[in-house]
Amino acid sequence: MSPGTADTTRSSAPGAYFVLDDDDRVVHLSREFHDTRGRGVGHVLWDHLPRAREIYGPSFAEARATGRPVETTIFYAGRLKRVLAIPGGDGLAVHVENLAELDVTSLATLTRSLERLDAVLADRASALPDRRSHASLQALP
Amino acid sequence: MAVTVEQETPFVVLDDRDRIVGVGPKAESQFGPLVGARLWECFPGSEPLFKPYYDAARRSGEPLTFVQFYDGNVARIRAVPLADGRLELHWEQLARLDTLTLGSLAESLDESLALLDEQGESYERETMRRALRVIQGGV
Repeated sequence: MSPGTADTTRSSAPGAYFVLDDDDRVVHLSREFHDTRGRGVGHVLWDHLPRAREIYGPSFAEARATGRPVETTIFYAGRLKRVLAIPGGDGLAVHVENLAELDVTSLATLTRSLERLDAVLADRASALPDRRSHASLQALP
Repeated sequence: MAVTVEQETPFVVLDDRDRIVGVGPKAESQFGPLVGARLWECFPGSEPLFKPYYDAARRSGEPLTFVQFYDGNVARIRAVPLADGRLELHWEQLARLDTLTLGSLAESLDESLALLDEQGESYERETMRRALRVIQGGV
């Protein structure tokens, strides 16, 4: 990612974010996360999110290793999310935007939501320059 | 309280307007607070999935068993019409969709669809399988 691209990525970062220290401990939450995750401050992120490490972890590691923002599209807990990990002096800022959500009310709503999810993925695939960002979706057998 | 056909399973009793009028011991925690309410108002989106079976059981006067997907769960439901127009509903949970990751979603969905395939009517499931295949192909 070039410096110019990195600046553009930062400026388009979703407003909801949290900050992790080097041990993946939550050290700060934006207002958007306070209601749902407020008690998570001070705790290691993975302790409260089962199997999240395998989904989120690789992009966090890449951002830390390269010192540059890494944007990914991930599916976790029924939601498709845009995740932007930005390394900085205060820790790793992780911005999250929900893009689509599964609706499991009935098979019909589930089918429609899967189709919405697919459409969002198609949009994201054309927007993102790096297809590695979809690695977490390759869990689909 | 209704006479129970299957004492071991959770059950509720509906009156002829689908209001919950009785709750078995194993369903008390979930349905106890709902006594007096219409079933469909308590569970949004459930009426078109279940009512046709309940109506069929009432019309025939015979118990009817079916498998249905609702709110991420696959359950086997047994609808037993009673002499006074009430309907006793027993259910057994067979599977639950796991939406944690795409891997667990695909696996649990496959299990759920296999259970539902016992019922036939495969069109909707084929549409869903197609959508999943498209997602897989797009990454």
